[in-house]
Amino acid sequence: MALVTEDFWPQGNFTADSLGMPLIPRVKLPHPLAGTGQENLHAVAKAIAPLIVEQLKND
Amino acid sequence: MTELMQANDESSALEAMHSAGMTDGLPVVIPTPDRVASMVLASGQDADMQLGVMGPAGGGATIEKVAIAAVMAGCLTEHLPVVIAAVQAVLQDEFDLAQMQSTTHCTAPLIIVNGPGRLSCGPIASGFGALGPGHRANASIGRALRLCMINIGGAKAGESDMALLGHPGKFTYCLAEDEEHSPFAPMHQDLGYDIEETVVTVIGAEAPHSVIYSGDADDPQDAAKLLEVLAIGLANMATNNAVLTGGGAVVVLNPEHAKILADAGLDRAAILQRLFELTEYPTERLSYFAAGFASRIKDETYRCFHSPQDILLLMAGGSGLYSMVMPSWCAGAHQNRYVSQRVELDLYCDIPGLGDA
Repeated sequence: MALVTEDFWPQGNFTADSLGMPLIPRVKLPHPLAGTGQENLHAVAKAIAPLIVEQLKND
Repeated sequence: MTELMQANDESSALEAMHSAGMTDGLPVVIPTPDRVASMVLASGQDADMQLGVMGPAGGGATIEKVAIAAVMAGCLTEHLPVVIAAVQAVLQDEFDLAQMQSTTHCTAPLIIVNGPGRLSCGPIASGFGALGPGHRANASIGRALRLCMINIGGAKAGESDMALLGHPGKFTYCLAEDEEHSPFAPMHQDLGYDIEETVVTVIGAEAPHSVIYSGDADDPQDAAKLLEVLAIGLANMATNNAVLTGGGAVVVLNPEHAKILADAGLDRAAILQRLFELTEYPTERLSYFAAGFASRIKDETYRCFHSPQDILLLMAGGSGLYSMVMPSWCAGAHQNRYVSQRVELDLYCDIPGLGDA
């Protein structure tokens, strides 16, 4: 499971393909994330947690 | 064999290569089969010999593919041994090439050449403007490595090479040490090589930062002050070296500055030791700018380098007020180690008529 921010999504695809794992599960996060404050980080975490669980179930 | 592209003429071929993202944005010499075959022949090695796998794309760096990059970069055949050694260097595990190519930091491989090959494989400039335009070997060798990193390693801006801005050294970044005029032992000798060997030392580095210092022979603190300003440039609070710590870095002394330090009785080891000591800072200072990074440090002070030997020191450039320092990225599994590689000059075939392949 990889957590990838929007701006780095193409790099995630490139890396996954290069490593021969094009289908590796990924969850997209907003960008930027670093430095946006604790409140925002908690909000993002709360929003994506179900997506992570869903991806893991499908893995 | 490398897959052949087809084009009606060299102009069309160039545009096709630009469109395919195979260039660095500047015109390249079209790597026709004849030109590439000549370059491979001069290498004295088999075209399909593998030097290693180049990340992040995982492309196989064969002699032929490196020769293609060398032709594209405008290399003469005599430059090739240094290009091959530079490729071998960045393929060493300690260099962390795939991570370096992928980072948001601006890092670019700086190639430092020592030994007799500086002359026979070039000449590779070490004097005035050695990192600037006008020196064919410096320009072509560094560019060839970059084109390998693009076309074999798969570095594409914004897709796999995530450098937020990059820096001009990502086009080419190569110089030699001015061993003839340096008051210090050649850098490769201090790194454990024989003085007669030709060696490339490569480190992922930021663009050069100028360090101004006007010497004063009447000032007993002359050398000490020079070391202080070098340390400020090397690891100020805006550098990864001061924030992430533990990486490598480079100091390029100009002849005037080298003389100030040598006249004070300092050799390379003593200079590096002092720079190591001068880049010890209060943790509180780091906390002010980067609390998250500082939280891992429990002591009241911290050092930017793990050891004096993390810093490369060489003499190059014209004589005057300015030396250069190159801080580094400091990340990756090996924290931005420099690597050295012996240049295999014995394999090179000097073939009449192929000098301009």
